[in-house]
Amino acid sequence: MSIRYLKKHAALEGVVTVEDAETLQSWLKNHPQGAVNLSKCQHVHASVLQVLLAVRPKIIGDVGDPWLAGILGATASQAQAA
Amino acid sequence: MNQTELLDQFILEARECLEGIGQRLLQVEKDPSDSELLNDLFRLVHTLKGNCGLFEFKPLERVVHAGEDLLDRVRNHTLAYNDQIADALLEAMDFTVQMVDEIEEHGAIDNAADGRSQELAARLRQNLTPGGATAAPAVAAAPVAVAAPQVAKPRPDWATRWPEALETQYPQAVAVRYRPEPECFFKGEDPWNLVKLTPGLVHLDVASLEPWPSADALDCYKCNLDFVLLCDTPKAYIEEHFRYVPEQIELMVLAEHAPVGAAAGASLEAQAAAQAEPVRDPMQAVRETLRKRVVQLWMDQVSLLKRPGIGLGTLGGVRRALTALLSASGDDESLAAMAALAAMPPQASAAQVATWAQQHVPGGAQAGGSDASGVSAGNSGAGGLPPGDGARRGGGDDNNNNFQGGQKVLKVGQEKIDRLMDLIGEMVVAKNALPYLAQRAEQVFAQRELAREIKAQYAVINRIAEDMQHAIMQVRMMPVGTVFQRFGRLVRDISKKLGKDVSLEVEGEETEADKNVIEALADPLIHILRNSLDHGIELPEARRKAGKPTQGVIKVSARQESDRVIIEITDDGAGVDPQRVRDKAVERGLIPADKAQTLSDVDAVQLIFLPGFSTAEQISDLSGRGVGMDVVRNAVERINGHVQLSSQFGKGTVIRLSLPLSMAVTNVMVIESAGRRFGVPMDMIVETVRVHGDDIHHFKQASTTVLRGKIVPLKPLNELLALDADAQVNSDGELAVLVVRMLGEHVGLLVDQFHGATDIILKPLEGVLSGLTGFAGTALMGDGSVLMVLNPKELL
Repeated sequence: MSIRYLKKHAALEGVVTVEDAETLQSWLKNHPQGAVNLSKCQHVHASVLQVLLAVRPKIIGDVGDPWLAGILGATASQAQAA
Repeated sequence: MNQTELLDQFILEARECLEGIGQRLLQVEKDPSDSELLNDLFRLVHTLKGNCGLFEFKPLERVVHAGEDLLDRVRNHTLAYNDQIADALLEAMDFTVQMVDEIEEHGAIDNAADGRSQELAARLRQNLTPGGATAAPAVAAAPVAVAAPQVAKPRPDWATRWPEALETQYPQAVAVRYRPEPECFFKGEDPWNLVKLTPGLVHLDVASLEPWPSADALDCYKCNLDFVLLCDTPKAYIEEHFRYVPEQIELMVLAEHAPVGAAAGASLEAQAAAQAEPVRDPMQAVRETLRKRVVQLWMDQVSLLKRPGIGLGTLGGVRRALTALLSASGDDESLAAMAALAAMPPQASAAQVATWAQQHVPGGAQAGGSDASGVSAGNSGAGGLPPGDGARRGGGDDNNNNFQGGQKVLKVGQEKIDRLMDLIGEMVVAKNALPYLAQRAEQVFAQRELAREIKAQYAVINRIAEDMQHAIMQVRMMPVGTVFQRFGRLVRDISKKLGKDVSLEVEGEETEADKNVIEALADPLIHILRNSLDHGIELPEARRKAGKPTQGVIKVSARQESDRVIIEITDDGAGVDPQRVRDKAVERGLIPADKAQTLSDVDAVQLIFLPGFSTAEQISDLSGRGVGMDVVRNAVERINGHVQLSSQFGKGTVIRLSLPLSMAVTNVMVIESAGRRFGVPMDMIVETVRVHGDDIHHFKQASTTVLRGKIVPLKPLNELLALDADAQVNSDGELAVLVVRMLGEHVGLLVDQFHGATDIILKPLEGVLSGLTGFAGTALMGDGSVLMVLNPKELL
């Protein structure tokens, strides 16, 4: 399992595959305040990405992947602007 | 299986597929509504595509993939089959045939085919949207789009999703809009990965196709992503990168479009003129960057070429890249160099290309004075063969030259081999008549000399016949590995589904057995494996608690033991709990409770072979339907095999299948009863004894005797066969008893005489006689008589 679900945040580590998308989604649903930590994440599957984009959880720590950081950062700032 | 074998098989199968595809394409054209035909066609193309995927045959795969997509639409009735589609498909098929020929000859595809393959794939994809008008980009073979168009095209509405500053920084950039189809995740695609790996990516923007639903309503497996990328790389690279999803991308070459902020009133012609002559001042900087980049890329290619042992594909790629770089510089000098590169023989080695490339760095940076023609002349002199070629040809013999394109493997229908088998059977029988003849010559005609000669002759014929029989059997032999191959996938899928961690070890795949045996084996083996996965191997936590490694091991091994093949399936799982098996068997009413408790643990475990037995509490899609080990046992016994199960509770289970090497020759014992001779399969016989009449106990109709401290029920064979005669008693008042094994129990058959064992070729009963289950078949004996072989299991 490449996601560790902790009390207050989910730690996505290494390569997060398509299988993890659904569990992440349900965890975020059950933990509306839950944050995600992407600092050790090398790659997320596109389905996981769209969960992150749709739910927009709080991101804690640095995002390992610069492209991913760019996208999530952009969406986060848009959210603030709105 | 090594690469060459795999390649040979690929070619063989590809030819077979193509033959089928060709036939069906023509049939479909006659009757486009026949959905079964279309399905068949699609399946063939799909198989072919799958096979192509095993190798690095990009041009081939691209065309077949496009064909598959097209056929899928036709098959699903979202697209009507028309002449245009038929033409495109047939053309693509011809191309594929050419490619396969080429692969067979050289072991690789010439890079020249790439352009044509793109063209064909594009043509196929054009048909995807009805009416032919298509969003798919026209895939051109020209690698770099430097030439400016006559008129600047209007910018699409998504062209605002990147910072304008980037456009001035990367004027040659290509913008891509990639909208993955909603079902793409189910095809195993990862659009995000594809996007991240786009060559020359400088900017990336992601949006949603439809507004994001709330977290509850979101379907995370329906792709709702909309990517816009800006890439500083030639358009052709982008097309290559997104080659599997060409209908999902839109491309925009920035240079071909009106620049940002262009005044609405500005004359389009002026713009076009400015771009058509890029030498003018504003473009000078661009030219300079371009030149630098070209040189840089050129040197990259050279260093790549110098690496030891680069593959043919890489070499081809480098050559293509060099051509593209030359055409990018576009001046006369480069064009001349391009021609020289094209003139180089396709078999030129990496070192040759590297030397050439070093001497011809574009943009006037050439070092050394040697001209292109000299180098290329040297190349043609060297005339190196591609590395794979010699190796692939080496194994073949000289016939190869005479039969170009002929196949070394002969495919023969099984019925022809069966016919051979029948004939050799008759031959064996005819041959067996010779000893009788020799006997007659000696006894009836008193010709000892002649009898000896006949016997000598018989020995020769016997040897030849045996060799022949052996050779024919060899033709029918197949390695058991052909069945084992599919296990890897099965174990992987099921263990994943069950959340178990299982590794599969296979040994002895090369062990051979008769084709019929192997084919009959596939289902039982899969059943056993599923059982092991489902019931045997525990979940990782349970394993850890039990002190075992979390990863379970299933081992499948095959070996030959005299004339039988032994296949063992061993798992280190939980084993079978004898008490639970007893309880379940009683619960399901399979055996009485008192009997269950008297069974030893070893015997209790065997209860799982009873029909209708299942220990699963829940019916899953894997097991629990009560169709279980009894099916396995029946399937194995049908081919004269045995199943043995031994299990240590908590430690694991071993299932041992013992199968005949071949079903062609059966060893039988000939017995006599009521003046008739019958055969009984040797593997069922436990012993032959003579029992005195006084030792037989009669109880009502049943009679029994005690053999080695065990009660054995006795049945007169004559009665079973409805022959009106009593079993003969010999001069000592003894009866001949043939003890056979029946479902683990011993039963005695009362017969008149034993006549020893013999090898026969068993022919099953045909026509109306096939209803007689009491007989396993017939065999022709050496003296010309027919022997009926009994099937004691059905008789009793």
